[in-house]
This record gives sequence, C-alpha cells and structure tokens, in this order.
Amino acid sequence: MGNGFFTDTTLCIGCKACEVACKQWNQLPADGYEFSGNSYDNTMALGGTTWRHVAFIEQTGGPETPPSLNKWLMMSDVCKHCTYAGCMEACPTGAIVRNEFDDVYIQPDVCNGCGYCVPSCPFGVVDLIAHADYTDGRHFESDGRNHDDATQTTGGIAGKCTLCYDRQKVGFTPACAKACPTESIQFGDVDELKARAKKRVAQLEARGVQSYLYGVDSDSSVGDLNAFFLLTERPGAYNLPERPVLPSTHQPAGYTSAALAAAALALVGFVIFRA
Amino acid sequence: MSTPPDLSQLNPDASFRGASNGEPLPAHASPTYYDRPLLKRPHWGWEVIVYLFMGGVMGGSGILAALADEDGDDRELARSARYLAFALAATCPAVLVKHLGRPERFLHMMRIVKFKSVMSMGVWGLIGFSLPAAAAAAAQAGEDGVLPDVFRYIAPRRLVGPAQALLGAFIAGYTGVLISATAIPVWAIGKRFIPAFSVCSGVAGACAANAAILALTDGSERTFRKLERLELVASLAELGLLLGFERHAGELGKPMYGGERGAKLRTWTMIAGIGVPSLLNVIPVHARWKTLLASALTLFGGYVLRETLIEAGKDSADDPKAAARQPE
Repeated sequence: MGNGFFTDTTLCIGCKACEVACKQWNQLPADGYEFSGNSYDNTMALGGTTWRHVAFIEQTGGPETPPSLNKWLMMSDVCKHCTYAGCMEACPTGAIVRNEFDDVYIQPDVCNGCGYCVPSCPFGVVDLIAHADYTDGRHFESDGRNHDDATQTTGGIAGKCTLCYDRQKVGFTPACAKACPTESIQFGDVDELKARAKKRVAQLEARGVQSYLYGVDSDSSVGDLNAFFLLTERPGAYNLPERPVLPSTHQPAGYTSAALAAAALALVGFVIFRA
Repeated sequence: MSTPPDLSQLNPDASFRGASNGEPLPAHASPTYYDRPLLKRPHWGWEVIVYLFMGGVMGGSGILAALADEDGDDRELARSARYLAFALAATCPAVLVKHLGRPERFLHMMRIVKFKSVMSMGVWGLIGFSLPAAAAAAAQAGEDGVLPDVFRYIAPRRLVGPAQALLGAFIAGYTGVLISATAIPVWAIGKRFIPAFSVCSGVAGACAANAAILALTDGSERTFRKLERLELVASLAELGLLLGFERHAGELGKPMYGGERGAKLRTWTMIAGIGVPSLLNVIPVHARWKTLLASALTLFGGYVLRETLIEAGKDSADDPKAAARQPE
C-alpha cells in the first residue's frame, strides 16, 4: 500500500500550523483577511490554493446540557486521496494521476483547466485556481520571486493537496504532518496507519469516548481513503458527505438513457421520413 | 471490544450511535457545517451552456442528414442538415477551447483516450463526428457546384449517413451523461432523465433549425410536414421527461424547478419552447412566418433548458444537506 494521512481529530488543538506549513511549503497565496464569525474558522473550506483546512465545531447544548457534554471539535481537513478518485476518473487530459506513493496528484504542466474534476469530487476538495490568485502578487513580493512566472505555471488550472509529492520524493514527511504539534496528523504507510487508528478507537472506547474511522473499511464507491479520519461526530457536522458516491457510477444509467432516447427518436424519424 | 462503525451504518436518518456504549450523541449536533457548501461550484459559464445547446442541434442535424430521403422529397433538407452539422462541428471546438482555464493547452485533451472520462469520450466523439460531417458537407458542396465536381464522390452515402447519425446521437446525448456523472446532487439524481431529454431537445432543435433554414431558402411541403412531426414527437418526449425529472428529483430538483429559475424554465422551455411550437406544428396553416416563429421558440427553449441545467448545478453544489446525502 501507499502513503497517506491519518488525521485523529481527538488530538487536534486547532492551532492551524498545518494550514500555515502547507501554504508556506507549497508557496500558495494567502486566503485574504475575511472574518467569518464561525468559531475560529476563517479559512472555511478547502480550495485550489488551500490544501489544509481546520474546521471548528462548537457544540453547546444550551443551559440544560451538562457542561461535560459541551464539545469543541477541531478537525484538519485535507484531500482524501481516494482509492477510486472521482477527479482522476473525470480528468480528460490524464493530468490527474496516481503517483508512486499511491496518492492522487495533479500534474500542473498537463492540466488545461477544463474544470470537470471540480464537480466530480464527492468531497468538494479540488477547485480551479484563478489567475488573479497569483497575479495579486503579495505573497511573492516578499521573497523576490517573479510572480509572472507563478501565473504562467499555476493560474487557470485545478489545484489540490499533492500530499507533498516533492517532499515524499526525498523522504521527507509532508509539511502539515511535520508541523502538527500533537500528532493529530500522522503520515505513513496507509496499512500501518489503519492498524494504529483502530487501536486508537479501542483506546478511546475504553475511556468512554465514542469514535469511528471515516474512510476505513468503507463500502462507499470511492473505496477507502488514503487520507482518513478519526471522528467523534456524524460526517455532516464536519462538512463531509455521509456516504460519498463515485460520480462515474452514474455513467451506465446515463449512457443507457441517452441511447434509449436516441434509438426511439431514430425509429420514429425513420417511420416519418422513409416509410 | 466492538469495531468502529463503517460509513454504511451512518444512516443520516438514524440517530448516530458510537462504537462504545450505543448511547446516542446529544441531539444538538449540527447536521451541517455552518451551512457552508460541501461541494465546489462548477466553473462552467456561457461557453459551456452555448456548447451544450449547439452540440444538441449539431448531433440532431447529423441524425437528420441520415434520415432525409435525398432521392425523394428531402433533397433540400439533406443539404441544410449536412451544412449545418459541419458548420457547428467547425465552431464548437472554438467555444470549448475558450472555456478552458488554459486555452493554449487544448491539445492536451488529445494525449489520451479515456473511457472513464465522459469529457474525454466527448472530445473524441466530437472529432469523430466532424470527420463524416466534413466529408458529407464537402460532397454536398461538390454537388452544389461550390467545390469541384470530384468532391461529390468523397462521401459514400451508405457509409457517411449512418456514421453521422450514430455519432450525432452520441454528441446530443453525452453532454447529459457528462453532467450527470458528477457529485452535484441535482445532476446526479437526473442520470436517467438529463441524458434522455438532452437527446430529445437536440433532435427537436435540429428539426427547428433546419426547418427555419428551409423556410428561408427552399424546401418541399412534404419535408416541412415531416420535420414538424418529428419535432412534435421529440418535443413532447422532452416535456414528459422534464416533468418526470421534476417528480423524481423532488427536493433535490429545487435549484432547477424552484423559484425564478423554475418559472423561467416553465415559461420559456415548457410553454413557449415546447407547448406553443407543438400547437403551431399541428395547426394546418402552412406559412413561412409560422415555421420561423415555431423554430425560434423551440431553439430559444432549448437554450434556456441548458442554461437552467448548468446554473441549477451551481446552486445545488451550495446546498450542504443535499451534498451530504449523495444520490446513489
């Protein structure tokens, strides 16, 4: 098996070091200074140039709820690097590939920005990168880089987590996992991570904490996730689909209905025109 | 020790039960994340809408070119369908290249043939369609004296006709498969409807466009009657599928059928684009203005349908509750 992430949300302290490390290593432009008002989350979502996103879920049940049941959940979201990846199947140029580490990687010099991967990701991860994100240039002025070059190579294409392909190439841990101070983000061989994660669920269970693994032993059409999560709430609370569906599973029904309609009309047409 | 629950056990309708003691979590658990979108909005703009519309008319014209009884009444129809199919096949790629984030890389589409990707299939389908379309148009031009006489022999009718019809049907239908094979709830739930009504709308649009061309140039009365009849059948099938899709999609269909967008779809596609032209096509008045009016309404209705589909997909992506429960 390949390499992936195990993100244990019970260990996340919401420091966002993963977000910062990712932006810095991958030279991604800043997200701006929008204040969301939604707990401590001003990042709000993964995007073409935002490859880690820490979600903050504050659950206070109101005055009747005992304080022990009030929860503050934090979860560092990331591209799932699915076993059966919707983005990769949709890509018409072959720009999106599975690399030697079993991770889903967008080749930036091949992608032509058709945008079909964007609605084809059941997790809403991949997005197109606007040219404006790079021509804005603030990020690049400080280090003296020529941001025209950055626009040339990076604007107008799809972007998402590479699972630090370049770092893995030289045997480094991906930036987010390296920066995580609590080992909430663990990087390694997916099978080893899964075994560790199952032990963690049992350990939490012994302490009376309910948890489960999202993306392990899954019966969803996207298969297991190379970047999986230990969660303590329903997936919807973290803005994850309850049961992701691989978009290409809709193709047989789609092609069949198109073929039936075409055959029926061709028959009617033949009767009208030739009979 | 119990094993952690897998995704299938997390039925959104059931109260969540954890792995340890079976006690449900507090009921105040938020079902969404601040109502923020779960999915990303498709970026497709007017170029893709125009292409979906043009592709329908183009594919339908391919079918008409094969159906037309060239040795009988439909000489002019065969001519207009061939020219129109070729003209659209020549302009569509420009529109598609324009919509790319990196248009200068459009050739990258051709470095791979990928059956899993509907868009890759569409690119090759479009190239495939343009070959018989170009040959048939060149042969027609040879016959019409526009090109040298030898060109009339480059497109054997028995070969080129069926190829145009088959690939035309693919072109008219694959765009519906393309958008259905996504995670967008309103598109995914329509996998049995969107491709089918795309074909119907394409055939109806092709009948309308060719009837309009013949009305402005020349065409036999019998050809007009045939086009009207086929357009009637295709339009009514499209209407039936649109209504069926509304019922089938239910709550997920709101972005398409609800609000102002739904009203526009009902007014311009269902009533003005299908109802009125169908009436015009059955009344026994044969006049140029009638054909032109019915054609314009049908074509505009087809455009509004494509626009509604794409725009509805964007709003559907914004609905986290719909996205959390993805249609199987």
